[in-house]
Amino acid sequence: MRHLVQGNEALFLGALKAGANFFAGYPISPSTNILVLAAEQAVKDTNFKFIQSEDELAAANAIIGASLAGAKSFTATAGPGFTLMQEAIGYAHEVEVPTVFLNIQRVGPATGMPTMPAQQDIVQTNYGSSGDYYPLAFYPNSVAECYRYAITAFNAAEESLSPVILLGDAFVGHLNEVVDLDDIELEVIPRTRPPLGTGKRFFTGLAHDEEGNPRTADAGVYREWLTKVKARHEKVASRYSDYEFSGNPASDTLLISYGIVSRVVAPLGSTFALFRPIRMFPMLGDELRNHAQGYEKIAVIEANDGQYACLVEHELKRDVIHVPLLGGRINLDLAKQGLKEKLEREVP
Amino acid sequence: MFKDLIKLDLLPTSWCPGCGLGQIMIQLAMVMDGLGLNHTNSTVISGVGCTGRLAGYMNVDGIYTLHGRTLPVAEAVKLVSPDLKVIVVSGDGDLASIGGNHLLHAARRNPDLTVLCNNNNVYGLTGGQAGPTTPRNTKTVSTPSGATYDPVNLQNLMKAGAKYFYAKTTVYHQLHLRNCIKEAVAWPGFAFVDITCQCIENNGRRLGFNSAYEMLQHFRRTYKRAPDGAETLGSDEIGIVRQG
Repeated sequence: MRHLVQGNEALFLGALKAGANFFAGYPISPSTNILVLAAEQAVKDTNFKFIQSEDELAAANAIIGASLAGAKSFTATAGPGFTLMQEAIGYAHEVEVPTVFLNIQRVGPATGMPTMPAQQDIVQTNYGSSGDYYPLAFYPNSVAECYRYAITAFNAAEESLSPVILLGDAFVGHLNEVVDLDDIELEVIPRTRPPLGTGKRFFTGLAHDEEGNPRTADAGVYREWLTKVKARHEKVASRYSDYEFSGNPASDTLLISYGIVSRVVAPLGSTFALFRPIRMFPMLGDELRNHAQGYEKIAVIEANDGQYACLVEHELKRDVIHVPLLGGRINLDLAKQGLKEKLEREVP
Repeated sequence: MFKDLIKLDLLPTSWCPGCGLGQIMIQLAMVMDGLGLNHTNSTVISGVGCTGRLAGYMNVDGIYTLHGRTLPVAEAVKLVSPDLKVIVVSGDGDLASIGGNHLLHAARRNPDLTVLCNNNNVYGLTGGQAGPTTPRNTKTVSTPSGATYDPVNLQNLMKAGAKYFYAKTTVYHQLHLRNCIKEAVAWPGFAFVDITCQCIENNGRRLGFNSAYEMLQHFRRTYKRAPDGAETLGSDEIGIVRQG
């Protein structure tokens, strides 16, 4: 049945579809209505557990504890809340805990512009916590995709045994579209690790061996562990190499965008070739390289000052033009104006 | 046997000779053994630092959490698995400083958790810096001319709510310690056991103690049992105050 559904609501419904039964969070714009939906769900369904935490540190650690206890858990946050959650994200990677973080981005740094959309946590998503880790992250651009990738995020979390980050922004999160969510059918991957209370295991944020015993000064054990985890993440990522591409033989420029910006610049498909990553991390590699071939110029337009552009440049080993849309103002006229200045040509 | 609850093959522990954490672990294992708690019905969740290692020596599923984050993890575990006995063992720095906000709110929400606080008045693992429980004027490596502030009053913090369980004991008073743990485990809510414990290597020697034995004797001389029915424990009293 077709309904008018909001992006944040679709994220929440997708989480439920994936079997989520635990939410902990701290209210923060523009993600707050996900927390409200979770609170209402806990009233409707006593098997769904909810904590309104005292802060984002507690929320992020609560979803880790809930996951170890056997629940499919998630939280929703934004900007400075996501920053507070970074320590727990690193911990979840070390302890190999499947869980999901929804980050509905707004303009920063700090409190910034709480209700204005941005894409300013791209680098933080990949590099925000200490140490080496390999997060999986997705960024939908429609209400239907919010639902689909919420399910995908939970599946990828189970497969990779890691915290998966689902990015949104204030526009996608508050976008209302008519969709039939029943049409979106995805397999749901069940929990495989037995819950707490069934073994004699030790889950630790210290470097550890296969048995979980701390090995805090053994480079060999550490390297072996990191190699194993990295390989697992790459394997899982390869199942979700999701992107959109529309070529344009008449154009010399490939325009890369994602999230809400990709919706805004969609009409420019007659002028440029368009590429939209959906799996943001690990970075799409061969997919980007293949589609960038044949285009003299690569431009990334995004609602930050070149965060993804830098990563694309690194990936392609080519110069990349970056077109920032800043301060929460994202529209086609500003996109055209930015492209015109950076490409030094008219953009019809 | 209480020894079945300890991973004997991992001994010796990583703790310094003379550390009181081993005694806390043994008393906890004895209580658990007596109550039939084991890996099928309980979990031990510990904080960071020396105390954090405790969960790893117990023969149950255990979690070593991030600095200060023991309580949010434990509260979530209890909510998801209400039938599981959830026992938290964490240091004073972990619970009262970096995790202070979580302590305040976990106590307020009153989940059914047993919290054993290894209170050694110092940040032990990091080398003996002042912590939230360090008495005023105490010299530590981070307070070379003596701690500037009064320590946090854990009893008053725990008694802030309408319902509370606060026990004060020491590692010297072994039977009292065991009884406090037992009563805390049985308490249907947030039960906090404040265990004065010796850290000889990174605190005691700097204070003039020559051995852990001397510190334990100091606990023996300092602390007296509170009278039955006491509503508040004096600073030199051990006992339990509670309100259900």
